[in-house]
Order: sequence, then C-alpha cells, then structure tokens
Amino acid sequence: MAYRYHEKEGDDEKMKKWLWCMILLVLLLYGCAQTNILERIGLTTLIGYDVGKEKKMQTTAVIREVNPEFQSKVDVITTEDNTSKGNRMEVNRRVSKKVMIGQMRVILFGEALAEEGLHYYIDASLENASVNNGVYTAIVKDQVAPLLEYDYQNIEDIGQHIYRLLEQNIQQEYMISSMLHEVGRDYYAVGRDMAMPIIEKEEELIKLSGIALFKDGKMVSTLPPPDSFYVKVIRDTFKSGIYETTLQSEDLPSILQKKTDDTMTVAFDAIRSKRTMTLVDAKNPEFDLTIKLKARVLEVSPSFDQSHRKSVEALEKAIQHKLTKELARVIAHSQKVESDVFGFGEEYRSHVRHAELTKEKWHSLYKNMKVNIHVDFVILRNGVFE
Amino acid sequence: MIFKRLLDKQQSSPPMEAPPTNVEPIANTAQLFIQAIQAATHYPDDLIVKSLSPTLTLLYINHLVDNQTLNDHIIAPLQVNTTTTPEAVIDTLSVADIQHGSILAEAIDALVHGAALIHVAGYSKVIFASIITRETRALSTPENESQVIGTQVGFNESLATNISLIRRYIISPDLCHKKITIGRRTHTAVSLIYIHGIASEQMVNTVQQRLTDLRIDALIDSAVLAEMIDDNSLSVFPQMLLTERPDRFCDGLLDGKVGIVVDGSSMAVICPQSFSEFFQSQEDQNLRWPIATFVRLLRLAAFFLSVYLTPFYVAALTFHYEVIPQAFIVPLSESRALVPFPPIFEALLLEIIIELLREAGARLPTKIGQTIGIVGGIVIGTAAVQAGITSNILLIIIALSALASFTSPSYMMGNVVRLIRFPIILLAGYWGFYGIMLAFCFLLIHLLRQSSLGAPYLSPFYPPRFKDMRDSIIRMPIPLTAKRPTFTRPTDEYKFNPDEPIKPKKS
Repeated sequence: MAYRYHEKEGDDEKMKKWLWCMILLVLLLYGCAQTNILERIGLTTLIGYDVGKEKKMQTTAVIREVNPEFQSKVDVITTEDNTSKGNRMEVNRRVSKKVMIGQMRVILFGEALAEEGLHYYIDASLENASVNNGVYTAIVKDQVAPLLEYDYQNIEDIGQHIYRLLEQNIQQEYMISSMLHEVGRDYYAVGRDMAMPIIEKEEELIKLSGIALFKDGKMVSTLPPPDSFYVKVIRDTFKSGIYETTLQSEDLPSILQKKTDDTMTVAFDAIRSKRTMTLVDAKNPEFDLTIKLKARVLEVSPSFDQSHRKSVEALEKAIQHKLTKELARVIAHSQKVESDVFGFGEEYRSHVRHAELTKEKWHSLYKNMKVNIHVDFVILRNGVFE
Repeated sequence: MIFKRLLDKQQSSPPMEAPPTNVEPIANTAQLFIQAIQAATHYPDDLIVKSLSPTLTLLYINHLVDNQTLNDHIIAPLQVNTTTTPEAVIDTLSVADIQHGSILAEAIDALVHGAALIHVAGYSKVIFASIITRETRALSTPENESQVIGTQVGFNESLATNISLIRRYIISPDLCHKKITIGRRTHTAVSLIYIHGIASEQMVNTVQQRLTDLRIDALIDSAVLAEMIDDNSLSVFPQMLLTERPDRFCDGLLDGKVGIVVDGSSMAVICPQSFSEFFQSQEDQNLRWPIATFVRLLRLAAFFLSVYLTPFYVAALTFHYEVIPQAFIVPLSESRALVPFPPIFEALLLEIIIELLREAGARLPTKIGQTIGIVGGIVIGTAAVQAGITSNILLIIIALSALASFTSPSYMMGNVVRLIRFPIILLAGYWGFYGIMLAFCFLLIHLLRQSSLGAPYLSPFYPPRFKDMRDSIIRMPIPLTAKRPTFTRPTDEYKFNPDEPIKPKKS
C-alpha cells in the first residue's frame, strides 16, 4: 500500500511508459558503443615525426602491447605516408592489435621537419580529441627514427623513458615547459613564439641538449641547455630550479677576491622569481624588464666568509651584474633570429591600442626592440646544502 | 503484460470477511459459559477450567498467565473468602489490572490476551484479571548496530520491555504512547510513540492514519510494517529507519520524529528519515566532533566508492583507456592479459561471487560461517586469479567496494548499495562513462522524488537547509547544532537557545 501525496495517477502511468522506453533503449543500443578493451589495443606512448623520404611524412611510433605469451613488449615501428592517419593505418598493418593514441605522452619532431615548419602537426594534434593536451613536445637533433629504433642496453621502454626524462626536467624546472597546450598557445598567439627542448642520443643515453627557438612555427635557432634558466626567468615565474654560474674575475668585487685573477663558481636555487615587463616606448618598442629573484646559495667555490653582510651584498651585486649580462645576451640572440619566445609582443599588444599586430609586423618590430634589464637578486639564506 | 500486472498496485482483493458483530451476552450459569468459551476457542487442551467454589469458576490458558500470581493473588484469596458477587470478587483480588464485562467476545479477547476469567454463578458478567506472562529473552547488546562508545543495550522482542527502555531515556509526561492493533488474525500490538510539543501533529496524524488504515491479516515484524506504510513501497531505498538501539530511537523522537514499536519485533521504526541520516551512527554523537565528522565523511566516501568503483573499472577498461594513469597501465593490462572475458563479465562474475559469500555467511551458523569466509576469501580469491578468470586488480577493487558497503550503519542501506551496483556495472559495460552518468542521473532523480512521510528525502541538501547541514554528513560541535532538523517540521524548533552558551563561562 503506497501512499503518494504529490502525484496524480497519470504521472505514474507516464513514468512507467518512460521506464519501459529506457529499458528498451538500453537493450537496443547495447553494442552501439565502440569498445576499446585495454588489453586488446596497442597503446602508442610516443610518436615521432620526420620528413619522409618518398612520401610527405615519416612517423615512428612506440607501441606497447600486452599478450598472454610475453606479458608486455614495446614495438618501435617506422612508417611513411602522407597523413598521420594514413601512417596509423600503415602501423595497423604491422601489429596484431588496434593501435590507439589516447595514452600518448610525448610527440617528437625531427630537426629537419621542425625547420620546415610544425604548423600542420600542432594543428592536427590539437584537433584530435583523443590526444591529450598535456603531452610533451620536443625536438630531436637530426632524425627521430634512429633515436627511437636504437636498442638501448638499459632502457626497456623508450617511450616511457623519454616521457619521464622530459617530465622530470620540466617539473624540476631545469628545462622550459613544452606541453602541447602551451606550444599551441605560443603558436597561435600573436607576439609570442614557441620554444621546445631538444633531445639527442648520447651513446647509451638520451639527453636534453638545448632549446629550440621558433619563428612562425619554424625552428630558427638553438640555445644551450644552461640558457633555459634565462628563458624561463623571462618567460614566467620560476620556483625551484637550480642554477650555476661562474663569475669572471673582472665581475668580481675586490672584497671577494683573494687573488686578482680568481673566478668564482656559484650555484644557487631560485626560491621565487618574478618578472615584470613594462612598455616604456610604443613607437620604437622599448621595455623595462625587471626580474626579482630570491635565492639561496648552495655552493660557492672558492668559499669565502659568508657571515659578513658586506661580502654577501657584494656577491649579490656580482650575480646581479652577471645575470643582467647573460639575460641581455639571450635576448639579443633571440632578437637576431626574430624569435620572441618571451612574449614581449603580447605585452606590446595589450598596451598599445589599435596595434593590429600581425606576426610579421611584430617580428620586424622585435628585431629592433630595446630592453632595459634590471635584476634584483636577493640571497635569502646561505650555507644551506641540499 | 505480465510485468505490468505484477507491478500494478491495484491487486484484486479477496472479499473481506465481515467483522464478527458478536454481542452475545455471557450466560449466567457456569456450565453454559464454559461451553461457550470452549466452542469459541475450539476446545484447546491448554484451556484450564477450575471450579473454586460452587459459585466461582476460573478459566485461563495455561502458560499464558503467570502461575505465581495466579496462585497467590487469585486462587488463594478466593478460597479464603467465599464471595458470591462480582463486586466482592474484584475487591478480594490483589491484582492491578482487573476489568469486568458482560459480552462473550470481550471475555474471549481477554482470555487470549492472558487474563484469568472469573465467572460468578447467577450473574451474566465475568471478571478479567490480566496476569499475562510472555516468554522473552533478556536484554542484550544490539547485534546489528554495535558501537564502541555508547550504550550497549538493544531492544528485544517484548513490547513492554521496549517501552520501558524508551521511558527510561525520556522521562517526560510529554512522551505520548498510542496503542494500535494490527492484523486481522495476529492482533499484533503496535505502539506509536512521539513527544508532544516536538513532533509535528500532522506527521503523527499521518502515521496514525496509515497504521489504522492497514487491512492485513498478519504482522510478524516491524520491517514489514515499515515497507507497507512508507511513501513509496516500490523504491529500493528504505524511507524509514529500522533500529534496534533505544538510544537512537529516543534521539529520533527528540528530533521530532515519530516512532513505531511492534510487539514481537526487536527493531523499532523511526520516521521520517532522510537519506543522509542512514549514514549516521548513534556513535557519532558520542565521539568528539572532528572524529565524528571524519567518520561520517569516510562513510559517504565509502558509499560512492562502493557504488562507483567497479563500474569505473569496467568503463575505463572497456572504453576509456585514456583515463588510466600512466604508471597503472602496464600492471593493469598485464593482469588483464590472461583473462579471457570482457571486463563487464569479469566484474559481474566477481561481484556475484562476493554476494554469494555474503549470503552464505549470513545464512550459515556462526561457526561454519567463519569457515566459509576463509574458503571464499582465500580459495576463490587466489584461485580465480591463478586460473586466469579475473585480474588481481579487480579482485582488490571488488573486495574494497564490498568492504565499503558494510560501513553503512544501517544494514538496509548497505543492501541497497550492494544492489544498485549491478545495473550501474551493466550500464558502464554498455556505454562506459556515459552509462555511469546516466545511472547517476537516474539515481539522483529517483532520490529527489522520494519522500519520507512527505518530507524531502534528500534534505538538508535538497531543498538546501544550511543550518541542518551542520549535522548531516559532518557533525559540528554540539553548541552549534541547536536547531532540530527542519524536515521533521518540529513544533519546537530549537533544542536550546542558540544565543546563550549551554555551558556558562567559568568565572
């Protein structure tokens, strides 16, 4: 005996009809959904693009397969076709499982391809709903295929290894971050250019060997890995990376010098950095770039008496000076190759009304842009060793 | 449409027997009276007829009356003073509950309710001395709702004992007690209990009307009663709380709820009850508030875990391999590689095994039950993995969700949690996360439509009552929970004045 106070009998009938319809739907539509049962698919964990020899595109896919016989294995398959979907078909012709890319973690590009332009690849990856926007992108020195196909002694899963390598370095802030969504943002934004890490094979290992600078999706230049610190500091805030620099004798104040031709090596990790860009002159773009860095000194060699306030201040000054010089060098280099990886253009566009900035226009302006660099370096703690 | 007929509530009812309009008076000779009683009770062998004196006849049903009282307070005084009028008999007996009547049906009713009948020759009147004794067990700890901190006494099967337990917790003249008899054949005594001045009149009337309107022939347990009088008997969700704890029962009464106690049943019914209250234990009141809050949140998490973990596994492995964390994918696919079934079949198989184990454990005697636990847990668990019919990750997930389903303090709600998992697993296996979402929507809509005595089932979340949320899935300190839950529509809204500190500051 059910008591219903808020319903009429008609509602009840209607509900029942709905219920039957739903049950019927469940039964009829079972099978309409396409299944991707985990152990029946080949998981592409990494994909590398090269310029094809005969066709437009050469891809190298790292595919993890699981079978009852051998538990799990990693295939590296290189194919050539005109589109990435065509290449996927080619890969499918060579493996026993349906190849899916939902678990992809890294996209690599060959150097030659990057110099030709990555527009198509970034577009295609961003448009593909099953490609995670958080995949890492990187450039491979020379060709991707040989790097992946080499049988490394100590690396079992090359896809996993490269992913961990990039993830570890980017999270520790030793390398600029290059997730697909960041790369896409940099690519589509007017007044900003992409930058990606470069990896290369070093005997039995793979190492990060630099930063690739892009102009309009085309790779134009590289910077050595230590410069990633400067790029990061100007691009965004910096939290925990370690930085090491050698202060030349001419930069060193006399208070820190025992002998006149001494150099001093300092390693510090930045606890916090904050950069502010201000547009001073819009006509002939001129920026004030202020970088505030709070750091702790980890190692100094040769050591000096850090308990004296004066000498610590002198060290701060020396590092400031050194950083200013280095930053100026990196910016000048990027200006020379017309690659605004720092986003000065965005700052310009947001402050100049009716700028109607286009990529071409900004690149020509960027070349002659003037930047006044002020570094405010503070040593918060010293004598802290990791 | 057989199903339609099955679901149809308008079942064709058999013609009800007309209630006996027996107003036959009591015969004034002992002989005829005894014959009438024997005929009405179909000559039972335990009907004792005893002639005390030429004029006095004593009738009672053996084992239904207390022999000690019978001997000391009825037989002995009557043998000493030979009285000849009913009034004199009543004066002579030292028994508290004495009535008299002149209708045969009344006499029979009193007889089966444990009264000794005394007939005085020459009068068409009989005296009922109620000296009932009923077999009952001693009070014990509640078996199904055990708790660590708190009282360790539970209701038992005796209505009188249960009422006395309640009266011990709430010593107040406002504790109202209404007796209703339900069941054409069993005449089960049912007590309606509420606190005047807190409980809403309307709700009390509703419960009373639902109880008196029941036309059934037998009532054995309060669980049946709860299912018959709740708002939606077809729903899988219980809308009234069954509890065997007098402290929980009394706490409900003090929140303005209405309680029902059924004679012969060790579970009392409390209503209205909201969904979130099924996940509260009386122990929460006894623990410090941060701990109680933690435990309540844990139970809520356990509910979602129990309902959605296995479907999530099925959906992720069948459709959405993208969402599996990278570190997990190799062990997961390696353990799945040996399994010949699709994930949905694998999950259903294991879920059913767990349900079988639980059911077998519940039905078997306690000693064998433990053996079943070991057999099921170790033998089936490890053997299934080694034989390659399930993956060991699924085994963990299934065990976890089974464990989580047992955290619900209400056994009834725990059953619901275990049942609703199956359709969700099916939907997850058919359509992946869309299916899970569909099931979630169905569940949410269903819960939103439910009511308990007309009070919203999802209160205090829908409709939102922020003050009530202080004692829902969290428990705030007692000084902050001065307000009684709104959904019981209490006459007196506050337990104490929220503006005055309940504990005056130390000077």
